[in-house]
Amino acid sequence: MSDSPIRATDAPRVVEGPGLLSGLGGGPGLAAHRRQYGELPRVGLDDLLGELARLRVRGRGGAGFPFETKLRTVAAGRRPVLVVNLSEGEPASAKDCALATTRPHLVLDGVHTTATALGAREIHLVVPRERPRVRAAVRAALAERPERRVTVHTADARFVAGQARAALELIAGRPNLPVTSWQPEAVAGHRGRPTLLSNAETWAQVGRLVLVGEHRYAALGTTDEPGSTLLTLSGPTPTVVEVPYGTPWRDVLPASWSGRPVLVGGFHGTWVPWPDLVDGTVSVDAMRAAGAPLGAGVLVCPDEPAAAYTTRVVDYLAAQSAGRCGPCRNGLPALASAMRLGDEQRATELAALVTGRGACTHPDGTARLVRSLLALRAEVAS
Amino acid sequence: MTARLRVDWPNCRARGLCHELLPELVDLDEWGYPVVTGEVTPDLVADARAAVRMCPRLALRLVAQPSRPSSAAT
Repeated sequence: MSDSPIRATDAPRVVEGPGLLSGLGGGPGLAAHRRQYGELPRVGLDDLLGELARLRVRGRGGAGFPFETKLRTVAAGRRPVLVVNLSEGEPASAKDCALATTRPHLVLDGVHTTATALGAREIHLVVPRERPRVRAAVRAALAERPERRVTVHTADARFVAGQARAALELIAGRPNLPVTSWQPEAVAGHRGRPTLLSNAETWAQVGRLVLVGEHRYAALGTTDEPGSTLLTLSGPTPTVVEVPYGTPWRDVLPASWSGRPVLVGGFHGTWVPWPDLVDGTVSVDAMRAAGAPLGAGVLVCPDEPAAAYTTRVVDYLAAQSAGRCGPCRNGLPALASAMRLGDEQRATELAALVTGRGACTHPDGTARLVRSLLALRAEVAS
Repeated sequence: MTARLRVDWPNCRARGLCHELLPELVDLDEWGYPVVTGEVTPDLVADARAAVRMCPRLALRLVAQPSRPSSAAT
C-alpha cells in the first residue's frame, strides 16, 4: 500500500532543449562537451556574483532560493565546502538523473568554476542509490577530469534522504536522515564550515552561464526571469523537458492531459485545475503567487481521480517519514488514515497540526498536498 | 527583538515537561508532543528559559527570530 505511485526511474525520456539540454546528440563525454562549449573560462567571485544576481539564478531543488545570496554567504566564511545534490529523493522527478546521464560536465563545470572562484578545495557529490545509472554516469564523467578530487556519496532510497541536512549527515558518515538545522548550511554546514549545497540543475545552470556568458544565458526566458528550467512530465516513461521561463503552459503540457487537474511540484505539491493552469506561463514568480510553486519542476497528471491518487501518495509519504520527529511519525499515518476514510475535517485538522513541526519540511509538504486536494474538491463542488 | 521557542524535533520524546512549566506557550498534541502556541513575551522569558533548561532531552531552545526548517529537497 505504501509504495510510491510513481517509481523512480534512471532512464527518463530526455527531449533536446534550447540551453542545458542542447547538443544531446554529442553524448555525455567531455570531448563533445568541450567541442560544444569551448574551454571553461576562469571567473572571479565578484563577476560571478554580479551575473548570478542580474540573471536571478535561483535554486532548482524546490525552494527557489537566490543562488547569489547563498554564494555570498558562503564566501564570507572560511574554507567553504561545495556539495552537488543529485540524490533526487522525489521518485516522480527525473531531471537530475537526466542531467547526470546526458550533461554531466555542465554540472561539474558549474561546481568547478565556483570552487575556483571561492578558493574551495572540498567538493562532495550525492547520488541516489535507487538510480544506478546516475552513479555510473557520474563516475564516468569524474574519471574524465581527474584534476579535481570529488567525493561521491550514495543517498538512501528514501524521500527525505535528499533534504539538505540529511545529505550533510550522509557526508559526515551519520545516518542519512534530516536533523534540526539551527543555522543555514551556507553559514554552518559540513563540519560547521560554510557549505554551498545545491541541486544538480542549479550547478548546471551556473556551468552553462559561465560557458556561454550572460548575454546568451539571457537570450532565453523573460526580462524578469531570464533562462530556462527543467521539468519532469509524468507518464509511463517520465519525460524531461527544458523550457524557457515565460513559455505558455499550453505549449508544454501533453494534449492528453487536457481537462484534468495537474499536480504541480510533485508529491509535496499543489493540485491545479486544468483551466487555471493552461492559460498561465512557466514562471517561478507567477506560480508562487498563484499558490502552486513549481518546486523541483515535477508535473503529474494521473489517470485515476485526484482524490484516490492523493490518498495513495499520502500513504507513501507517511511511510517515507524518517520516523524521528514525533509529529511526523504519528501525524502522517493519521493523516493517511483520514484520507482513506474520506474524513475531510480530521484531515484538515491534522494537516494544520503537523505543519512546521519537523526537522525538515516533509510534514509541511504532505499537508500542502492534502490541503490542495481539499481545495480542488471544494472548487469542483461549487 | 522577540524570542521564540524552537523544538529540536528529532530529539523530542514527548516527555511533556515544557507544557508543565510553560502552559501559557506550550500545548501538547494528542500524542503528547509540544505545540508552541505563541512568541515568548518579555514577562514569560524567565519561565521559557526554565523550560529550556529543564527539558530532559535538551530538545527545546530559545531563539532570537523565527526560523524555518530548510527545504525538503535542495
